[in-house]
Amino acid sequence: MLAFVAFSLKRAWQGFWRNSLMSLAATASMVLMLVLLSGLVILLSGLDATLKYVESEVEVVAYLKDSATAQDVNVLTADLKSMPQVITITYISKEQALKNFQQRQPDVAALVDALPSNPLPASFEMGLRDPSDYIDVATFLRGQSAVDSVQDIKQTVNQMLTVINVLRTGGIAVLGIVGLTVLFIIVNTIRLAVVARAGEIEVMRLVGASDAFIRWPFIFEGALVGLFGALITIGLLLLVQAPLTSLMADFFNVLPVQASAIVGQNVALIVIATGVGIGVLGSYLSIRSYLTR
Amino acid sequence: MPGQPPIDRRQPVGAGSVTGTTTEAIPALVLRGVTKTYPNGKSALREVNLTVPAGDFVFLVGPSGAGKSTLIRLVIREELATRGKVLLEGRDLARLNHREVPKIRRRIGTVFQDFKLLPNKSVRDNVAFALEVTGTSGSRIKPAVERVLRVVGLSAQADQRPSELSGGEQQRTAIARALVHDPHLFIADEPTGNLDPLISWEIIQLLLRINEMGVTVLMATHNAEVVTALRKRVVALEDGRVVRDETGAAYHRED
Repeated sequence: MLAFVAFSLKRAWQGFWRNSLMSLAATASMVLMLVLLSGLVILLSGLDATLKYVESEVEVVAYLKDSATAQDVNVLTADLKSMPQVITITYISKEQALKNFQQRQPDVAALVDALPSNPLPASFEMGLRDPSDYIDVATFLRGQSAVDSVQDIKQTVNQMLTVINVLRTGGIAVLGIVGLTVLFIIVNTIRLAVVARAGEIEVMRLVGASDAFIRWPFIFEGALVGLFGALITIGLLLLVQAPLTSLMADFFNVLPVQASAIVGQNVALIVIATGVGIGVLGSYLSIRSYLTR
Repeated sequence: MPGQPPIDRRQPVGAGSVTGTTTEAIPALVLRGVTKTYPNGKSALREVNLTVPAGDFVFLVGPSGAGKSTLIRLVIREELATRGKVLLEGRDLARLNHREVPKIRRRIGTVFQDFKLLPNKSVRDNVAFALEVTGTSGSRIKPAVERVLRVVGLSAQADQRPSELSGGEQQRTAIARALVHDPHLFIADEPTGNLDPLISWEIIQLLLRINEMGVTVLMATHNAEVVTALRKRVVALEDGRVVRDETGAAYHRED
């Protein structure tokens, strides 16, 4: 068994470098596919996390007029508390809103300080018992003189969902096409490797090598292409990680930061599994059609 | 299994009882009513019957296209007979499952006219390859390889590549590779076809030695001089049929 694994690995390694140009081309196309894949995974999981965060925290936001008094706020709070549809109420004063904004956008914090007055409105953020309660709550809020406007987060969420779905469908379609191309390239790479070893395979059959000894080196060679591709992709991702993280933080500014570590780990696993999986599948298909008997 | 004590089959290996009532040795090879018809309708072998006892030396002769190579392909189970049975040491080759085929092949040493050596490997590595690809551990490969290289007299050339060797040395390398699994049956398909007469004799001497060690030898050849001089058993094929099967015979019919 040990002899078998050692033999197969050695042959796979030799095979990979024997036709290095073809192997590297296959690896490069593998990297392209895996970069696309991880980009899509990162984008979608970022959007998903944002969505979940927004959805779980707030469902309705009511912005108050600047003219609203403390009295108005108290009355409104009491009224909202008495409504069975409303489960959570958070009051965000003008000052709090400004602080929140400055925290999220430290780059422009100084700019805000320079403003003559605070432009941000105070607001109520409410969680609802059920999304269908939105109409009742919104109708009530719109009737209040202190309320300037009511925003339905659900609507925003739905818009985001549409974007996510389009991205997911489009991304999967593009990935599918790229994945098939990569598979095709691997099938051909391994086929060339098999042809290059035709003499050896003939001798192996003659001297009584079992099928495993004939086939597995090629499977390993395909897996090697996938593994190299995956490692290069992960390397590239690590290189762009820092700029990407700050970009992400700007883009999804509500996303809790610790989510990115988990995303990174998942992406690495997905990249390795996909790379090795496609490499193995490609070489399996190649030798199945070539070494039948 | 490879890497075992030196080849010596003077005590017939297949010896033992077939049914439990006789002590008759199992023949190395039996063909019983074997017909091989290719999908294009061409019959390569017709109703061939042949029994080769363990330890025998048989020349297989006949014009090109008579069916010699087909017979050999059936024996090494590259192909299956259309009708009839091929029994190797009593085992019906048609009834082997997929996994048993490689194991059976390890009991047959095969050499060809074109040697089938791997050009980028040394003599030693060519021979070792046969053990490597059958899962022999590294520690057992080296002594086994050195042993067969001594048998064929190539110890001094062990590090050379096939391209640096003469034709006779290349064929001896192939013979060493075929011997390294300690085969019970040795098949040589035109082993001297590419060699000049003097070198051919060297190869024949080597095959005779292998036979003396107890290995059954089946050699297909066109070399009339060798066949006639050695007076061994001669099986002649013509148009897919056995037309002559004589012991102590010449290449051509002598009556």
